[in-house]
Amino acid sequence: MILDLHTHSIKSDDGRAKVENYCKWIRKKELDLDGFVLTEHRQFDAESDYTALGDQYDLVILKASEVETDYGHVLLFGVNEALVREFDFARVDNPLPMVLEAAERHGAFAAPCHPGRKNVGLFAHYETKGSVPEVHTVEILNGGSIPGEDERSVEQARRHGYRGFGGSDSHIVSRIGYRATRFAADLGTIDELVQALRSGEFEAVSLVGDEYQMISEEEEGVPT
Amino acid sequence: MNYEDVELGDDLPIEHPDVSLPKIEQWCEAAGQRFPRFVDHEAARAEGLPGALVPGIMSQGFLLAMIHRWAPGCTVRKIDTVFRGQLVIETELTISGAVTDTDDDERTVEIDLTIVGEDGRTGVIGTAVVAFD
Repeated sequence: MILDLHTHSIKSDDGRAKVENYCKWIRKKELDLDGFVLTEHRQFDAESDYTALGDQYDLVILKASEVETDYGHVLLFGVNEALVREFDFARVDNPLPMVLEAAERHGAFAAPCHPGRKNVGLFAHYETKGSVPEVHTVEILNGGSIPGEDERSVEQARRHGYRGFGGSDSHIVSRIGYRATRFAADLGTIDELVQALRSGEFEAVSLVGDEYQMISEEEEGVPT
Repeated sequence: MNYEDVELGDDLPIEHPDVSLPKIEQWCEAAGQRFPRFVDHEAARAEGLPGALVPGIMSQGFLLAMIHRWAPGCTVRKIDTVFRGQLVIETELTISGAVTDTDDDERTVEIDLTIVGEDGRTGVIGTAVVAFD
């Protein structure tokens, strides 16, 4: 199945997408997308329940977070009450090793997103501060990247031996699904998503025309 | 363009607005916003910017103009923009829009809006609610 692992709704300060409109768009455009994960900025939206909406549109809708660290932005999947109490999600300078360790300890899965981007990407910080040994997975395809950024993410992820996934980073409805992740297993819950991410049985994909394509191993190119 | 002609998923025609220096100067004069960062590349760079910037309100104007060219006579009830990146004057900008929802009772549509810079970076995102007679 294919999930967009990085989306924002109106719950994020800079998000302008209503969740139901994401669902309508996916169905109207007949995207080959089975669902999406809402990764709101600097918070975990514990209140919203999208179960009925997911059932109505036959889509998996899960909730996660995008937090900010001293090495750039990080997606947190499998956020629970204990993890929320562990550190301040609203801060913009959480130490990355602490976030990774806390996520691991509380059964969540943490991965830096848009790592090829200037300022808010992991690899820009590696150049000045060195690498972080606890990192194992990064978002190598991001729908908000400019030309060259995803290529850098792919190249650097390979160099460091990181696994890579994809997400659109959509903040408006019509951007959902441009980048996504194909999983070997069928997933319906956040726990199943965390398990699948831990297993490594996934690949980043890019929407080209009507089809999702993976990165070419030979050309090391990012499909656009 | 009538409400009945619009469908969820429709794209508005893409536009490339005129952000040449004379046009920016003209707008700044009219708007009373003649600041160096909008009309002088060197002054803008001295502020740490990549070059003279397209004024944010002018960006909103481009988006509104695109909507009205697409649907002359419509009423834009609301426009809400987020400025995510810097758009430099005298470069090629791409403006696009897409219908993301329709309301038959209100005869309104919601539209996604974007302005993308020459380097591919999205400078402005937004939404608008547009009403038809």
